[in-house]
Amino acid sequence: MATKTVEFTVGQGREMGPGGVGTPSPLAPFDVPEPDIGTERMLINIGPQHPATHGVLRLVCELDGETVTEVVPHIGYLHSSFEKLGEYRTWNQIVPLTDRMDYLAPLIYNCAYVMSVEKLMGIEVTERCKVVRVIIMELDRIFGHLLWLGTTAIDVGAFTPFLYSFQQREKIYGLHETLTGARITTSATRVGGMMADLPEGWLDQLLDFLDNFPKTLDEVDSLLTGNQIHIGRTQGIGAITADEAINYGFTGPNLRAAGVPYDVRKDRPYYDYESYDFDVPVGEHGDCYDRYLCRMEEMRQSVRIIRQAMRRLPGGPINVQDPGISLPSKTDAMSDMESMIHHFKLITEGIPAPEGDCYMAIEASKGELGMYVVAEEGSTKPVRWRVRPPSFVNLSVIPKLAEGHLVSDLIMINASLDIVLGEIDR
Amino acid sequence: MADETKSALDAVDEGPVASGAESADAGGSTGSPDDHASVAALVRKYPDEVLRYRLNAGDQYVVWLRPDRSHEILAWLRDDADHRYDMMSDVTAVDYGSGRPVEVVYQMYSTPHGRQLRIRCPLPLDAMEIDSVYDLWKSVNWLEREVYDLFGVTFRGHPDLRRILMPDDYAEGHPLRKDFPLRGRFSRAEQTRRALNQDVERFYLADDLTYGEPQEVGGAEVGHQGGEG
Amino acid sequence: MGLTDKLPGGGSAKTTGGMFGPGSPTFLTSKVDALINWGRLNSLWPMPFGTACCAIEMMASAASNYDLARFGMERMSFSPRQADVLICAGRVPYKLAPVLRRIWDQMPQPKWAISMGACASSGGVFDVYSMVQGIDTIIPVDVYIPGCPPRPEGLIYGLMMIQEKIRQESLTKHFEHRAEDPALVARPRASEIEVVGLTGPFGNSTQQDKLSTGVVVTPDAPADDLLS
Repeated sequence: MATKTVEFTVGQGREMGPGGVGTPSPLAPFDVPEPDIGTERMLINIGPQHPATHGVLRLVCELDGETVTEVVPHIGYLHSSFEKLGEYRTWNQIVPLTDRMDYLAPLIYNCAYVMSVEKLMGIEVTERCKVVRVIIMELDRIFGHLLWLGTTAIDVGAFTPFLYSFQQREKIYGLHETLTGARITTSATRVGGMMADLPEGWLDQLLDFLDNFPKTLDEVDSLLTGNQIHIGRTQGIGAITADEAINYGFTGPNLRAAGVPYDVRKDRPYYDYESYDFDVPVGEHGDCYDRYLCRMEEMRQSVRIIRQAMRRLPGGPINVQDPGISLPSKTDAMSDMESMIHHFKLITEGIPAPEGDCYMAIEASKGELGMYVVAEEGSTKPVRWRVRPPSFVNLSVIPKLAEGHLVSDLIMINASLDIVLGEIDR
Repeated sequence: MADETKSALDAVDEGPVASGAESADAGGSTGSPDDHASVAALVRKYPDEVLRYRLNAGDQYVVWLRPDRSHEILAWLRDDADHRYDMMSDVTAVDYGSGRPVEVVYQMYSTPHGRQLRIRCPLPLDAMEIDSVYDLWKSVNWLEREVYDLFGVTFRGHPDLRRILMPDDYAEGHPLRKDFPLRGRFSRAEQTRRALNQDVERFYLADDLTYGEPQEVGGAEVGHQGGEG
Repeated sequence: MGLTDKLPGGGSAKTTGGMFGPGSPTFLTSKVDALINWGRLNSLWPMPFGTACCAIEMMASAASNYDLARFGMERMSFSPRQADVLICAGRVPYKLAPVLRRIWDQMPQPKWAISMGACASSGGVFDVYSMVQGIDTIIPVDVYIPGCPPRPEGLIYGLMMIQEKIRQESLTKHFEHRAEDPALVARPRASEIEVVGLTGPFGNSTQQDKLSTGVVVTPDAPADDLLS
């Protein structure tokens, strides 16, 4: 058994003696046996059903005391085989699948998918459609970030931001509902346009939301940004450097928090994003706090973009004026023989695609969302529909981020990555 | 029920048979390689490895490579100062069915040059193996595992090649292959029985942590174990 | 105007009288029933088994606009050991099935289950290789809520139906209602025949044969068969 030499000093500590030197004890130093404390690594399992994993994620952690030495994430508990199902659906029938994939920002997924198909087919959508899609995508960026804000705040013990952000989300639910008839599963887009044009009064409703939303955001800001508890839980936690962040495949706010100003909207612009005036917030430390700040700022920038888009919203048709792509109006289909035939053919057969493949990357609320479609000549269904899920790749970094942190930090890191399991598992 | 299971398992074991058909010639125009510096450089530097290239969807260059030296070429694309594809956005695969080769697809992006490139490596069905690029881009860790899980492509040198979305003991094969029926090979009753027979306690074993450490890559058989059924 | 009308829960005579037929509730047990049921139904602790889109609507129900707390259900119990109602909100793949079954087995009696949304109730659009075709093949379900996803009002209505169901219960029937067969723990609720019957595909959107049992598309078949 190991021994340890014990030396007594007089006073509370060595600094208590004159001149900072401890007064020696009259007792001579002596040896005491030191108990052999074996350290044993502990294995704990978090999930798949756990409130802090934000879905059915399972994390197996090895702990040394309370320090995480290793994390192994297990996914696939929500594998719904979207991609296989898509191979049995026509191009337009896939749209309803996309919003069930990321149910936190469904409109972005609707848009991304049809943009990829349109690019493959060489369809140029109308100006009005472009601007409307920019509006709804930015609206859903706010929608997605708000849910992240609420649930992350709960993870650090703050309940009020959850209620505040859900209050604002209810407003967006209302906007979704007016626009598409559904609160989450919007299915708003079609190849070559939208399901319908903007309903009457929708823009006023949106304007009302834009006027009130920043106030709530400021309130949440004042609750969290300077909050010592929040800062203590997030600063310096789960940090990653810029080079590593790129190499590990981080995208979106997670990458920008590490100091890389990569934003698909700026670097590979689509839908005239280069002509909008907005800033890309970039962090410095790549830790949870910077990710939080980036997302907060992104919501403000999204409000800016929506306001600009509303100002430039042109009139005109929202769908491509091509009977081979867009459905005729209901009135036409019911009164005009030719329109009815077009309607019938489009619904039963679908839109034929040229041979080829197309990868379309857009900036979703969680990072770079890529939609990859492969078609054979004239096929009305994809040979392969692949989604490059941003949070799938972001989550795969968690073993590196969490190593050496406490278990409570692991929860914070997981929350700060902004994952959605529906899209990770697909 | 037992007989059905057996016949379905046989199908898993046999797998699809390579037909020798050429891989699909994915449309588009040939374009001019001079428009894309990396395509031109690839054609110059590796004339024997580049099978063909296409310009798809307006502005996207696709290069088909022989799979044998794919790792070397991808490493060159990442490190060469003129290309610097530092972001591997996506790794996936495409199965065209009819015994045609399964193609592994790499989506790359270069942040310094702002260039996008797509590399496709056709793998014949009887040699579904390709070098892992995990040592070049850490981002492909789970992406390659997913391709292995859903298509059965083995990535040589991947440190942790096992199923990721389907259960470890999934016995029905690789779901995204074209020969896999949409509803799976087993009946719903058999699938339910197998699902509930999964050992929940297995979730708490220390074995889980040995995953992720370098190990012999030979996982091709994992999906073909018959399970206890 | 009798004693029954003054009792909380609206009195048992109206609600349970005809339900269990003659001979079951005596005056005493029916009063005790009413009291116990009143307590149970107004302090339900839901166990949110949220997986996908429906979980977001479940969160919306708990937030200020819909405020589940009005029904005594604001205390979401994330531990199955302290929960009364399992709300299975969202898709359940086969990989998650044993987890769902285990959580159900861990919940103490009395317990109820809600299947929220089309995917949990029937598999929804996901008639595919990885999805459980309705959680009623795995656990007994009391209330199905249709919708994709159901609105928060739908979830609240479903919970109120659970409350109504509790109001109809009687202690004299407790063991009849609540008996658990130990042999069924961690087993499917439905027999093999039932599972096949319950999960047969409907509609033809995916243009597949009725069941995929043993049906393997041979590699010789042209790809058009799969794609057309």
